[in-house]
Amino acid sequence: MVFIFGVNFPESQLVSRSLQSFYGIGPSVCTKLMARFHIHQTAKIGALGDRQINDMAAELSTMTLENDLRRQLVENIKRLRDMGTYRGRRHAMSLPVRGQNTRSQVMTARKLNRVDRRG
Amino acid sequence: MRPTVMLLARSVWKGPHIVPLPIVRPKAGERVPPIKTQARSATILPNFVGLIFQVYNGKLYHDVRITEDMVGHKLGEFSPTRKKFAYKQTKNK
Repeated sequence: MVFIFGVNFPESQLVSRSLQSFYGIGPSVCTKLMARFHIHQTAKIGALGDRQINDMAAELSTMTLENDLRRQLVENIKRLRDMGTYRGRRHAMSLPVRGQNTRSQVMTARKLNRVDRRG
Repeated sequence: MRPTVMLLARSVWKGPHIVPLPIVRPKAGERVPPIKTQARSATILPNFVGLIFQVYNGKLYHDVRITEDMVGHKLGEFSPTRKKFAYKQTKNK
């Protein structure tokens, strides 16, 4: 088991997969991070050196991830709502925010757009 | 302050969209009348903070009191143009 940023990962797991398990790291940020620390795309967690793991953990702790990022997202929406902007209103109504049509399908907006968005 | 999407879409060299508005600096102890405007696309500048604007939405002039958060947004963002549909029963069939 390898301990990175508060989570234990099994040694047989891919580095990219374990990085992307954090909220806020997707394929593109993951590729950038791995390129920066000279990690191959197919590398497993067990193959990493101590130094690489420490560097990575230090880098992750400077980024806004997980709950901080979720809170930031909610704050941004709440700010719009409190100001009374059109975008804030649309979030509160669970409707599309950026001028999409609402005649038929607004499934994604119904699901995601709300003031206390979960992420 | 985070720039709005509108600001991000605009070329930097143009600067913010400045519309000449009849803004008078208030003297001490004097109330400023609201500024009636139809310029919904005018960017809110830092010197608007504390003023009251009446922003047109095509039908009515909505009162908007400018706070510090609103700087960088447009005036029109605070004056909704759409009315929610509500069914009205017709009386004469």
